Amino acid sequence: MASGFFTDTTICIGCKACEVACKQWNQLPGDGYAFTGNSYDNTVALGATSWRHVAFVEQMAPPDEPVGTSRWLMMSDVCKHCTNAGCLEACPTGAIVRNEFDNVFIQPDICNGCGYCVPSCPFGVVDLIGHSDYPATRGFESDGRTSDDALQDRGGIAGKCTLCYDRQKDGLVPACAKACPTDSIHFGDVDELKVQARERVATLRENGVDAYLYGVDEDTSVGDLNAFFLLTDAPGKYNLPERPVLPSTHQRAGYTSATIIAAALTLVGFVLFRTTK
Amino acid sequence: MSIDRDIASVPIAPMHDSGVIDAARREMRDLAPDNARFGVAGVGLPPRDSATYYEQPLLKKPHWEWEVIVYLFLGGIMGGSGILIALADEGGEDAELARNARYVAFVLASTCPIVLIKHLGRPERFLYMLRIVKFKSPMSMGVWGLIAFSLPATAGALAQAARDSLLPKQFQWVRYLGPRAMMNPLTALFGAFIAGYTGVLLSATAIPVWAKGKRHIPSMSACSGIAAACALNAALLELGGNPNPVTRQRLERLELVASLAEAAIILDFRRHAGTIGDPMFVGKHGRKMEIATLLGGIAIPSLLGLLPFNAKWKTLLGSALTLVGGYVLRETLIEAGKDSADDPRAAARQPE
Repeated sequence: MASGFFTDTTICIGCKACEVACKQWNQLPGDGYAFTGNSYDNTVALGATSWRHVAFVEQMAPPDEPVGTSRWLMMSDVCKHCTNAGCLEACPTGAIVRNEFDNVFIQPDICNGCGYCVPSCPFGVVDLIGHSDYPATRGFESDGRTSDDALQDRGGIAGKCTLCYDRQKDGLVPACAKACPTDSIHFGDVDELKVQARERVATLRENGVDAYLYGVDEDTSVGDLNAFFLLTDAPGKYNLPERPVLPSTHQRAGYTSATIIAAALTLVGFVLFRTTK
Repeated sequence: MSIDRDIASVPIAPMHDSGVIDAARREMRDLAPDNARFGVAGVGLPPRDSATYYEQPLLKKPHWEWEVIVYLFLGGIMGGSGILIALADEGGEDAELARNARYVAFVLASTCPIVLIKHLGRPERFLYMLRIVKFKSPMSMGVWGLIAFSLPATAGALAQAARDSLLPKQFQWVRYLGPRAMMNPLTALFGAFIAGYTGVLLSATAIPVWAKGKRHIPSMSACSGIAAACALNAALLELGGNPNPVTRQRLERLELVASLAEAAIILDFRRHAGTIGDPMFVGKHGRKMEIATLLGGIAIPSLLGLLPFNAKWKTLLGSALTLVGGYVLRETLIEAGKDSADDPRAAARQPE
């Protein structure tokens, strides 16, 4: 069974309960008090220690149009857990695996922080956790266990959404989906979620909303996404790629051209070293 | 005009007067430059049809600093020297070069892992690289390629040291460790791989400028590596005394061919990449690369090579310029990749 998320952006209210629940369950450090001035979004992007991010697209009417045509688009972004995952293919240690729930999971005790997954994610999800993100003075106790040692161990490795692997193993719903007050974040079997999502798109279209699914029935090299989205505007506006490309598809051309050039130069060298007197 | 009077001159209007709000919105729009970046110092609201998310980057930047740049550069020289070992033994009269290239390959094969381990977020876990062999991951292939290169390179260098009587008598047996007929093809083969795969490592990512260069970057890396290997070995031979003029000429010619091919690939990449190539070819990175790599690292050494006389300073100057050019090319590639990751428009339409 493949588990995943269906995030319906039309009923997201931008409350960020998912962000908070994720931070709390996964014991991720806060992002500080940076103020972007862009919108009500001060998290800005997914990161090594921000595994849910609520994008807040403000589409305000131009001055010559009535104010009523303005709209807010909110989307709770998350790791897509791609069918063909760029990070997983790039990982040289095998730290990034596909687990029994068909989710892409970084084994924190294996990752050595080479950072190659970071530019290999076509969605810009995964990043390296800084050594200073978990200061030594942090010590706190939770349910009688001190988490310091485990947290310290995360510095210098790659971090991204685990799809609450630990909760799923205990039969629990991931923290973000559990916390979502409007059920914008659905968690479940991906095939069932897709059925549900297609019905939702049909309903919205009947009501005149230009909705579509992002990450379902895709013919991209990344394939379908185990965490997919219902969107009402172009993907770029939510900071999603129009057409994600699996980075490893560039390899064949690269190795071929490098081999041709290196072989040609070696041959030229061979001739030069034999003929030059 | 005093500040007080400035404030006093601002008209006060009730906030429910939508005319005032509309006027303010219009003014904000007019004030905002077309390419306004929205942020703390931003002006106004983004246009409703803004194609990006507040100009925020879509992709994450690679965390690669000087260690990786140095490795890409040294790896090229190491791989190129591996090829030179085989060529030098093949042509005859180049025993000096063969010896030199063997030591260069050995020294670099011992240094590169150190910088690579240093760049890891968790250096103490570097051995985890050896848990698996993964053909899909150029990083994994690189690790194994480096090991595959080090073995014949080390064996060849030890045998050379024994032949050069650099080893104590009881270690004379190591001269049989690396029979040239066996080690030379291996160093050439794995050396060619090392010189080229670093380009695949970059282009097999989502970074737009690197992905766009999926054919160009690996081939320009191979050319640059071979040219830099010729340059370094020529300079070391020059510094080591009076090199064989035939060897010097052979190295010069091979470097010329490799450099010209490199220049052609770089220029073709500029044409091919279009605006996606801007981080690499426009602005400060572009100017630095043009001056240091195309002009200083390729054009000037090539012209120096055409001068009808031989002089120690000529070889040393040309070699130094070529090496600087090769380093700057790698630095430009990495820095341009970081800038390219910051461009949400390029990232939204990823090169196939």
